[in-house]
Amino acid sequence: MIEAVRKLFRNTLFRLSLVGALLTVLSVGAAIYVVYYSMVSTEIRRVDAAIEEEISQFQDIYDSSGQKAVETAIALKRLPKDIDTQSDDYKTVYHGNAVRAVGEVMNLRGATFEGLYLVQTPGYSEGNLRNSTGEQTQEAEIVLPGPEGITYKRVGFSYSETRYSNAEYINRRARGITGQLLLDGEAVAAIIVARDVEAISRAGDQIAKTLLKSLALAAFLGLLSSLFVSRRFARRVDAFNKLATDVRAGNLDRRAPRNYSEDEMDMLAEHLNSMLDHIDRLMQAMRYAGDSVAHDLRTPLTRLRTRLESAAVELGDTPEADILFDAAGDADELLATFDSVLRIARLEAGERRELLKPLDPKDTLEDLAELYEPACEDAGLTFTFDIAAKTQILADRGLLSQAVSNLLENAIKYTPSGGHIHLSSERGKQNRVKISIADDGPGIPSFDRERVKERFVRLDKSRTLPGSGLGLALVDAVADLHQAELHMDDGLGKNSLDEDVNRPGLKISLIFPNVKSALPNKAMTETTT
Amino acid sequence: MRILVVEDDEVAAEYVRKGLMEAGHVVDLAPDGDLGLEMARAADYDALILDRMLPKRDGLQLLADLREDADTTPVLILSALGEVDHKVEGLRAGGDDYLAKPYSFTELLARVEAIGRRSDPTAAVTKLKVGTLEMDLLARTVRRDGQKILLQPREFRLLECLMRNAGRVVTRTMLLEKVWDYHFDPQTNVIDVHISRLRGKIDKDFDEALLHTVRGAGYRLQV
Repeated sequence: MIEAVRKLFRNTLFRLSLVGALLTVLSVGAAIYVVYYSMVSTEIRRVDAAIEEEISQFQDIYDSSGQKAVETAIALKRLPKDIDTQSDDYKTVYHGNAVRAVGEVMNLRGATFEGLYLVQTPGYSEGNLRNSTGEQTQEAEIVLPGPEGITYKRVGFSYSETRYSNAEYINRRARGITGQLLLDGEAVAAIIVARDVEAISRAGDQIAKTLLKSLALAAFLGLLSSLFVSRRFARRVDAFNKLATDVRAGNLDRRAPRNYSEDEMDMLAEHLNSMLDHIDRLMQAMRYAGDSVAHDLRTPLTRLRTRLESAAVELGDTPEADILFDAAGDADELLATFDSVLRIARLEAGERRELLKPLDPKDTLEDLAELYEPACEDAGLTFTFDIAAKTQILADRGLLSQAVSNLLENAIKYTPSGGHIHLSSERGKQNRVKISIADDGPGIPSFDRERVKERFVRLDKSRTLPGSGLGLALVDAVADLHQAELHMDDGLGKNSLDEDVNRPGLKISLIFPNVKSALPNKAMTETTT
Repeated sequence: MRILVVEDDEVAAEYVRKGLMEAGHVVDLAPDGDLGLEMARAADYDALILDRMLPKRDGLQLLADLREDADTTPVLILSALGEVDHKVEGLRAGGDDYLAKPYSFTELLARVEAIGRRSDPTAAVTKLKVGTLEMDLLARTVRRDGQKILLQPREFRLLECLMRNAGRVVTRTMLLEKVWDYHFDPQTNVIDVHISRLRGKIDKDFDEALLHTVRGAGYRLQV
């Protein structure tokens, strides 16, 4: 499951269309937010502005009513004409009447505008004020411009309203401003002015809900379309991948499926197919050229060799005959090198894959062990082998023999007398089969291990020994044809910092895949979508 | 033996002819496929050396035509196509042996003598004898001067191959093909080591050596 999701995310088109879907979701979100903002926020700000206006009106009412009460009291001679504005009497008359007037206007408006008003004389804390108006739900720290030293705070809260029909309490939302009424620059009463915003808030909630739903829907549809598009695309790309794998395995007659819609993929298929046709022609030309060269070049070389040999035979047992025999040997070496190059080229073209059959390598390996054991002994080497029973690989007996034989010969050639060579086969994970040849010779440094697989590459140390540098290249080509890994590691020797004893040895392994997974898949999936 | 060589390369053909004549054989040459088929039908040859790539009539075609007439003349196919599958193809078409170019003349001689009518190494014999060396193919025993010699199964097959071709050179490649069924040439002296082991068993304790090394060619079992 997790693997499937991971695979999905590796799909380029899926990722691209997912990004597209996300962008769509974002733009839908942005559009709906603009609607929300213009409908709700504008309305709320209008309410806030009205409340601010009212607060200053109440201050005006307070001021004028207080002034009027004092004037009336002086006219009625309840207060002396030259009353000190700082005296308690003046303040009592002024404040008492002013607060009553404000309260009356509040009550009046409360009924008219569905507003919520409250004015409290000193002694009441802000806490009491809140209790009497309901639970405060939010308090924005926005300080409104007001008279010096006075703080106006914007508050949001919910309050309970009793419905006429049934005596149930219903919570409604409100918004308002708390502040103070001033007398000569001194705060004398707390005041709250608020408006019921339940209708606006409800509309806002509705829009927010719609917004979330649309976003979820857009995201879901986006994901769905990404899946659809990428699946469709992936199927076609898979067909190309399969084609490439098949061609790589040597099936040059495979072609990409076409649907003749002439879209990009179809054109790609067409171009790919014409390219494969071209490669096929080139391969055939190369094969033909190779065979012709082999025939044309080998014939004169053979003649040369025959002349040298017959001359040597005619000379009989003389030193000159030895020279001619050696020259014939050189010609043999030249021809053998030429042969190997051609053989590697043919193996790399993969044209012999059809010859591979499931087989148990045990007999083949034991035959090779039996063939090489005396040669090892002759070279002063200990030879041991340990071959697993009942394993199966997909192989050609001849090629397998040749590859293992090359590796054994390398081991014999490079391991000094007194050394040890070990041939083994073992069953690995998932029925893979590992055939190894290990020695305790000089080994190959890890940085050279890839290089020595190439043709004609010989390491400096071995240049003095006979050989063409094609042995491992051939093994590599055989391994490739068998879809086997050619792996090199330190062998049976011991590492030491002392240059003279530093003989890590070499262990070369051919790791064959499970027979079932190695069987060539003959049927090309017909995918034309 | 009377041998027909069908080969379009005149120089190569001439060398083969010369070499075979020196070895005491009678040789006819045919430069192309048509003439080759005509000559093979007209006379009774002991062996045919046939190049695969021929003008007018392909070597394999010639062979197929010949076999259609129920002609069982042993045929050695020569070709520059050294791959094992080509070899299999050639043998399936009715060839008795297959030799890839380049070959050494000794190899060619050894092989053509081995398949030639007069030798017939596959004849149903039950006993082989070379000098005082005797092999009983049924009892799987080997004796020399009446003295029993113990051989490993592979050594037995090696000796059998040499005894069937007694008096003739058997090359290393032939041994590798016939005794081990390998169609590639090892670089090292693997065969020599096996031969020297065999020699240690059949020759070492006796006065006369039977198993000889032929320089530049192979081995010969001979009194």
